[in-house]
Amino acid sequence: MTSPELTVITDGLTKRFGDLVAVDHIDLRVEAGTVMSLLGPNGAGKTTMVRMLATLSAPTSGTAIVCGHDVVREADAVRSAISMTGQFAALEDNLTARENLLLMARLRGYGRGAASRLVESLIDRFDIGEFRDKLIKAVSGGQRRRVDLAASLVVQPQLLVLDEPTTGLDPRSRQVVWSTVRDLVDEGVTVLLTTQYLEEADALADDIVLIDHGRAVAAGTPSDLKARIGDQRVDVVAVDSRGLDGLVAALSGRFDLTIARERRRVSVPAPDELDDLASVAAAVRASGIPIDEIALRRPTLDDAFLALTGQPPATDTPADDSLVEVAS
Amino acid sequence: MTTITSPAAGAIQRVAEALPPRPGPFARYLRETALLVGRGLRAIPRVPERLSDVTIQPIMFTLLFLYVFGSAIHVHGTYQDYLLPGLLGQSVAFGAIGAGVATSTDFSSGVVDRFRSLPVVRMSVISAQVIGQIIEQILGIVIVAGIGLALGWRPHLGGFRWLELVALMLLGLVAFTWVGVLAGMLIRSSDAMQGIGFAVMLPLSFLAGTFVPIAGMKLVPRAIAEWDPLSALVAAVRQVCQGTPSSGSLQLDHPVPAMIAWCVLVLIVCVPLALRRFRTASV
Repeated sequence: MTSPELTVITDGLTKRFGDLVAVDHIDLRVEAGTVMSLLGPNGAGKTTMVRMLATLSAPTSGTAIVCGHDVVREADAVRSAISMTGQFAALEDNLTARENLLLMARLRGYGRGAASRLVESLIDRFDIGEFRDKLIKAVSGGQRRRVDLAASLVVQPQLLVLDEPTTGLDPRSRQVVWSTVRDLVDEGVTVLLTTQYLEEADALADDIVLIDHGRAVAAGTPSDLKARIGDQRVDVVAVDSRGLDGLVAALSGRFDLTIARERRRVSVPAPDELDDLASVAAAVRASGIPIDEIALRRPTLDDAFLALTGQPPATDTPADDSLVEVAS
Repeated sequence: MTTITSPAAGAIQRVAEALPPRPGPFARYLRETALLVGRGLRAIPRVPERLSDVTIQPIMFTLLFLYVFGSAIHVHGTYQDYLLPGLLGQSVAFGAIGAGVATSTDFSSGVVDRFRSLPVVRMSVISAQVIGQIIEQILGIVIVAGIGLALGWRPHLGGFRWLELVALMLLGLVAFTWVGVLAGMLIRSSDAMQGIGFAVMLPLSFLAGTFVPIAGMKLVPRAIAEWDPLSALVAAVRQVCQGTPSSGSLQLDHPVPAMIAWCVLVLIVCVPLALRRFRTASV
């Protein structure tokens, strides 16, 4: 094999559902032992993309080679080499955490004894002990996700596919997911993960592909993309639209403003972070206009799309609430 | 916080077990099917409401018709002997609803996707669904038959008649379960599946001579009833259990061959469609 070794190679990978082109000619290269993140809003085509790579959905056209095997012609070989954790924790509600893991181990081909030893080690590794004998329907979302992750690591895969692994998770469970990904990469596993959170892609990925409307709209390392997206920002939220007009008038001479009228928000690039926050705050104070909020925040997915493609994401933008998480 | 995610723990996990060599596809199919059937059966006692569809409901029908409506319904012989074969037939047909609900739940929850992303023989996932459902329905049917016997039902099941009844009911269960599996894959929401299932099956079952003889029905319902597949099923079970003849249409004159023909037809149509749907199903 040529160097560097590639775990995922797609050429013109396309999936149509009737008139909708969910994935539109995506060429992806994922190097072995790295983390690739597909970043994009809801409905961008990320899930369809990983479902094709995990052999769950056949491509309309184009090819995908995963771990050296074609996803259509050698689907069984692909399935033996990968593990997939879907967007919704796919566990049997009416079995306990331990029974679920045992079932997965046995389905992977382990005998009774080996499966049960393996499950004990997974229970330790993912801190499942305290709810190991609870039915899955009775555990919390974060606990469920941990069992789900453990279930996909019954065997060490060559490629782990994670579809929005932390959407809706509490911070602690998110940390577990993140550190698991890092550990696995240390052990040589390749990880392909989808996310709506710029922060997550930045924290985990070696390479990011920005996806919108089924197309890859930008790609690069996190530092490449960050250099193109820009720095932190200072957001000022006015109490009403008159206040917003006042703020725009007061700040526009001195700062490079981006205005989000429907959110009553002006946004200022803050390469110098705290210093910029302080100078914007001083200008607002001097204007005497009352405000709702002023904050320093990291760029969001929206900012990234704006900076990299010149327009906001074309598909459903995630709700503002989820963006707040990115900013926190 | 704990040491859950320390690299050391991961390393220990990795060296723990080596996968045994993979057996041939057929051996894997049997093993995986057994594992997945086991998964379904283990869940049964933990979801009593799922069993209630196959137990409480037929028990209510039995009591309601035996003691409330029964006195107004005139049949040859005792009403018990008329009603119970009807209820057995209805239980077989309603198996489609249970199978549909279980299938749509599995598909919408992503559990099926997880199994499909494993290197398992795909037929085993769907076989386990069918076998598990049939076992669940048999549980319900045994309970109905037991209650019937306790309340005075006297089937005339000498010698091979038992075997004939069991074979006929199993064939019916297999056919109706496949209908349910296909419907469950097409109708993604289990609530909708439940609603549509009853909206279709309940009228068909009431028309099928399950509770009231078809001969006494008015013209239009009678015409439907004479060709209702469930009529053939109920009449066939009744003929085997009690020796009661039926008549009115070609299928009612020969209920057992008619029922077998319906089941074979259903299987010829539903099995390939369900398998195709299972292979290509995508969100």
